[in-house]
Amino acid sequence: MPNMTRREFVYLGAATGAVLAAGAALPLAILTRDAEGNAVGAAVFFPEKRVASLGDLEIGVPVMFDYPFEGQASMLVKLGEQVPNGIGPDGDVVAFSRICTHMGCELTGYQAEHQVLGPCPCHFSTFDLIHGGQVVLGQATQSLPQIMISLDGETINANAVVGLVYGYADTLDEGVNA
Amino acid sequence: MTAESTSIPLPPANAKESIICCEYCPVACGYKVYTWDLGTQGGPAAADNALGVDFPTELLSGRWISETMHTTTIVDGELKNVIVVPDGDIEVVNVGGTHSVRGGALAKKLYNPNGLTNDRFLYPMLRVQGNLVPISWEAAIDLVARLSQYTLDNFDELAWGMKIYSYQFYENVYAASKLAFGDIGTPNYSPHHAPAEGDDVPGLSDCGIDAFSAAFEDDKEADVLFISGSDPYETKTVRFTTWQQPGGAKIIYVDPRKTFTAAYAEANGGIHLQLMPGTDTCLYNAISREIITQGWEDAEFIAANAASRTELDGEGSWRRQMFGLSFNEYRDFLFSNDDFTLQGAESETGVPADKIRAAAEMMTGGTGPRPKATILFEKGVYWSHNYENTASIGSMAVLIGSSGQPGRAISRMGGHQRGGQKAAGYPMDKSPHEYKGNKVEMDTERWFAEGKTRFRWIVGTNWIGAMGASRALAAAAERLTSVGPPVTSTDPDLAYAALTERMDNGGTVIVHQEIYENDSTPFADIILAAGAWGEDNYARNNAERRLRLYEKIADPPGEAKSDWEIFAAVGKAMGFAGYDWADTNEIFEEAAPRSSGGRRDYVALVEKAQADGVRGHDLLRTFGTKGLQTPISLEGGEFVETVRQHADFTFKSNSGKANFVLSDWEAVKERNAILGPVDDELWVTNGRVNALWNNLSDFTRRRISQDRWPMNFLEISPNDATARNIVSGDLLSIESDNVLDQLGNKTKGGFTAVAYVSDIVPDGVTYSYFLYPKQPANSVTPGDSNLQPINLRYNFKLGKGRIKKIGTTELTETMSFAPRNLVPG
Repeated sequence: MPNMTRREFVYLGAATGAVLAAGAALPLAILTRDAEGNAVGAAVFFPEKRVASLGDLEIGVPVMFDYPFEGQASMLVKLGEQVPNGIGPDGDVVAFSRICTHMGCELTGYQAEHQVLGPCPCHFSTFDLIHGGQVVLGQATQSLPQIMISLDGETINANAVVGLVYGYADTLDEGVNA
Repeated sequence: MTAESTSIPLPPANAKESIICCEYCPVACGYKVYTWDLGTQGGPAAADNALGVDFPTELLSGRWISETMHTTTIVDGELKNVIVVPDGDIEVVNVGGTHSVRGGALAKKLYNPNGLTNDRFLYPMLRVQGNLVPISWEAAIDLVARLSQYTLDNFDELAWGMKIYSYQFYENVYAASKLAFGDIGTPNYSPHHAPAEGDDVPGLSDCGIDAFSAAFEDDKEADVLFISGSDPYETKTVRFTTWQQPGGAKIIYVDPRKTFTAAYAEANGGIHLQLMPGTDTCLYNAISREIITQGWEDAEFIAANAASRTELDGEGSWRRQMFGLSFNEYRDFLFSNDDFTLQGAESETGVPADKIRAAAEMMTGGTGPRPKATILFEKGVYWSHNYENTASIGSMAVLIGSSGQPGRAISRMGGHQRGGQKAAGYPMDKSPHEYKGNKVEMDTERWFAEGKTRFRWIVGTNWIGAMGASRALAAAAERLTSVGPPVTSTDPDLAYAALTERMDNGGTVIVHQEIYENDSTPFADIILAAGAWGEDNYARNNAERRLRLYEKIADPPGEAKSDWEIFAAVGKAMGFAGYDWADTNEIFEEAAPRSSGGRRDYVALVEKAQADGVRGHDLLRTFGTKGLQTPISLEGGEFVETVRQHADFTFKSNSGKANFVLSDWEAVKERNAILGPVDDELWVTNGRVNALWNNLSDFTRRRISQDRWPMNFLEISPNDATARNIVSGDLLSIESDNVLDQLGNKTKGGFTAVAYVSDIVPDGVTYSYFLYPKQPANSVTPGDSNLQPINLRYNFKLGKGRIKKIGTTELTETMSFAPRNLVPG
């Protein structure tokens, strides 16, 4: 895959959902801003990547993959409970970055009983995947970046990232696409 | 969907760099601040940004900038970019640039005229016919000074009160106490967290041990950490993740709740002593008795360092004379009460006897080599039964020789940082309150509720919410500020006439010096808009006595003034001398002699600065975020720091010896009978959670905290919840008809909270955030200091109430109710 840089992306002001519904093929970012002028709810689109097949998923069993760049650990899981931004017939399939937003360590322990990812092996932050990767307990100052996924028949594709991945000054900074 | 950014501006290589430490917990991590012009930014290459690091940064780099580390604020009159990032080069405290969830969002504390912090108080205000309206500083200072003088002239200095933070930097506390103690001479002065001035841990002090004697490296050096009444992971995060957990000590964790640290302890060879609220004294004494029974005490340490009866008789303090014990007397005391047997203690505390015995063995090594054991504690201990708990845990430390040695210490973990450098001594002789014929510091809340305070200056605290029986205290404030004619004009003379008439009619005038509106503001007649952290140059210690400079990084918003400037202006307006400070450095240097001989002693720093012709603050600045560990001295032109106190086995008593101290468990049991839940009530204890801090003045304006904790919560056990038909997300009322108020009367108290059903709390015990705006848990905690007459502290941890579902919320859609005590398997 070629290196992607911010110059290749187009910023639009449309709603994330509308773009997802349209099956956007181009990488782009969609921004809204809060009262402080900070970008919020921003989805940055990257080249689509097939990450799983719907029929292969089991509730509580995560599927690991890198996205959007190589080395950016992510995971997809069928939570068994409908959630906002969940896809699939049960609206319960979501994906998140597995890079802790505290200091960048890789989160490995998905606990299906509680639908949380963590504790992080470094400083023990734990994230709630039912609630958009919210920090349950720990030192991270932002939720886990959520990987936006879409369904094409049985195929689940990763399309975009919401939230800044640890280490990056810009989600669109250079990297090797996964 | 959560709120996140897609990019963070990088500081250019020429961005201005400043040093500062975290505002919040007593660990006080070191940070760097970079300031630069809007519309410019650096690049991802190391040479192109001020951090000197390539972006993307590597994991654990300690140099990444999260969205919460950036803001825009006003610097030298201009809106600028500011980032507040952990100091990646620091070799102490937060080694390598780690941070807590609180400190990692320090930038969001700063005033942003276009952001969530733009509701700061910008100018002084006067309440006119019920509304706060802006007035000039000249009028505000004039009114405060004249009302103060009227109080002194027509009543006495006991009618003039100040309620103020104890920690908000040396320079501000010095200026405030110079006015209150030095010139006005009132004992009607108390800190943000207690009804009276004085020692928070008198039992430990009577042991002769300084409350902050240990260093963080002792946590790492120790083989065993006995941690009671404070969850280090929740509230002193970096101390846990940098010093305690990496050190590998086995942890004996004492807490009614099975918190993260409790679960971590159990999963790593430690023990959780899950006692019921209010039973600490019995537990500590049972451990000590078992140690003596087995012959596991440190006999050598005791023989060399514990005071004899003769030495105790020579003590100057009434408390040591009354409660000090020799080792033999202490042993006899422990063996005089069957509650201190293993079985007796199990019955009283709920902790299984085998765990008590195992703790005694783990702390001492039993028949094997003696491990290095450090004892750490905080508010769960001294805001339960203050004197008895601090005396019994302190005595346990003396028994096992845990003081003054690497990895062997006893220390408070601290609630906040240490900035309480006073300008003058407390006028104890004027206090109207006493215990068995001995003067004790004045209970300023009782005095207020009695209507004897005619003028009260509230500085930097949500006073109402922070005190026990807060609903009753609010009612008293409402009553006392409603007396007499209302102020109907901003004309200072007319306002003065109305407010003095209120005083004459038995009412109280309240001045509130603050940065934001809070639950105490509705009772204020005059608002004094204050500056805050980062808005002036200040100095402060952390919990291991590390003195650092907190540089000014932004302007106070609007016309707001630094606290010291306000105190100085009032002092001068009242005709007092000695308030002509040009800046905080002048106060810092003036205050140095007052630190002499204490744990904050920085006399040598100022003496060297003056000898070298530099400013004290500037010399301190050269030590960066590492600072200097006080007390310090000067030898051969170099500073000698104090890593830990009592290293020479000299203790803070007349004899220089350490003391055992009596802890009256029978008195505690009588109190528990008064305070404990009855019928369908449950314990309603309270404290902090890691994503929030104190009165939430910053955290209600911080997205991550509000996403996580949009309202106060009540942890309730699955069994107690089921019995009340409660599930997570329900709206609860917590009510009590039996809250002892400031006058000792039974009153009603209550608050609401969202249910968080969790086995983190045992059956019979619930837990809530202690100072959530509009939902104060302290409305069901006692406000009667007569319950603890030795040093007039509240039993903050011993609230109770009936829990009832009153509705549902939609918070399950947005707020996590997942377990908060999951540890790595």
